[in-house]
Amino acid sequence: MPSPPAEDRTSPPIAQRPLELILARNLLTNLSTPGFLLDSAATVVFYNEAAAGVLGRSFEDTGKMSADEWSSTFGPLAPNGSPLEIDRINLTDAIRAGRPAHGEFRIRSARGTEVPIEASAVPIVAAPHGSSGAMVLFWPLEADGPSR
Amino acid sequence: MRLKVWGARGSVPAPGPEMNRYGGNTSCVQVTLASGEELIIDAGTGIRTLGLDLASRRRIHILLTHLHLDHIQGLMFFPPCFRSDAEITIWGPSSPEASLEDRVARYISAPLSPVEVRELPCSVSFRDTPASEWEIGGASIRSQAVTHRGPTLGYRITDAEETLCYISDHEPALGSPLDDLEPEWISGFDLARDADLLIHDCQYTDDEYPEHAGWGHSGVSDALTFAQRVAARRLLLFHHDPLHTDGFLDDLHATARRRWTELGGDPAAVEMGMEGGELEVGSVAPEPAVEASLGRI
Repeated sequence: MPSPPAEDRTSPPIAQRPLELILARNLLTNLSTPGFLLDSAATVVFYNEAAAGVLGRSFEDTGKMSADEWSSTFGPLAPNGSPLEIDRINLTDAIRAGRPAHGEFRIRSARGTEVPIEASAVPIVAAPHGSSGAMVLFWPLEADGPSR
Repeated sequence: MRLKVWGARGSVPAPGPEMNRYGGNTSCVQVTLASGEELIIDAGTGIRTLGLDLASRRRIHILLTHLHLDHIQGLMFFPPCFRSDAEITIWGPSSPEASLEDRVARYISAPLSPVEVRELPCSVSFRDTPASEWEIGGASIRSQAVTHRGPTLGYRITDAEETLCYISDHEPALGSPLDDLEPEWISGFDLARDADLLIHDCQYTDDEYPEHAGWGHSGVSDALTFAQRVAARRLLLFHHDPLHTDGFLDDLHATARRRWTELGGDPAAVEMGMEGGELEVGSVAPEPAVEASLGRI
């Protein structure tokens, strides 16, 4: 074969991510604001190094996470530290409805600390397939947190 | 599947004696399917002379990757457009802003043009490319949005078990090095995977690329890495910068072959898009006999 060995030619087809999700990931990769990316099934398919700094684990360590995996690992949590159902926070409702949203809640880092954050979510919608997911930027509310 | 390059230049036509071998016309590739049906990919200035070759062809399909001028400029000078017996179907990317016809008509209308689309003697129809695979002349065709500026498609054409992938304007390494990305996150990966022939953007040298990051085009190393990641069997480097002379492109070709060898590939599998060049998509890449490799692909 003239081409160098690379991907396995016999492996099954991959599910190519929509271009708008690829571009959103490229953007997040280059931001110093913490952020993560959801696909249309609400799976966290990427978070950037700045988010890893807050969460205490890198994306390379966790890989993609379903909504249930994410919420059992990182939250969201109420101000008193009790778990919030991910389906009951306004961000989730808004994303499902294709609207941007902003909210405040707490998350639990892998270091065991709870971090109050603000988060802004923007749905990613493009023709021809409609909603591809959402990009969520967040930042800690501590005085020494970024962008605050 | 046979292929002929009628224009391999990017951005703007680049005529001149120092461009004679690679040619100065902008993007246009003719694909002849096993059924005899013809597809034309992109309508840069190269399509004008191609049209002279299609004097008796009644039904013509044109696949547009996007509507930048170097990919549509030849449409207004495409001889079949002025034949009443010609039936032309133009496929292209959809946009939420306006229909394909309305967007093309911005060029084929006053004050840029002496004629309007509705005045063309041919029968012309405009079709957004479907989200799923479709068929023309027995070939399966698939399009997919790829990283460039504005809505832009790549095409994958499979005919008689041979696969051609055409991504003339593409910057898959924008923001993230291709070496580090999983396949699902590489723009165009699924489209180009295992292609017998990949025609891919290579507008810049690696030295030139940093000055043009975000312009929607690739440097040579990114083009090669993309081809390696998708396991393309042959690679035709395309969309040459209008400043690149024949001598410059010869050097770029030598560099590309050397790097492909370093990646573990056969250097003969890397060719340069050259106006007038013809090849069979499924044929084995030629040995790099210098004159032949530079003259005809």
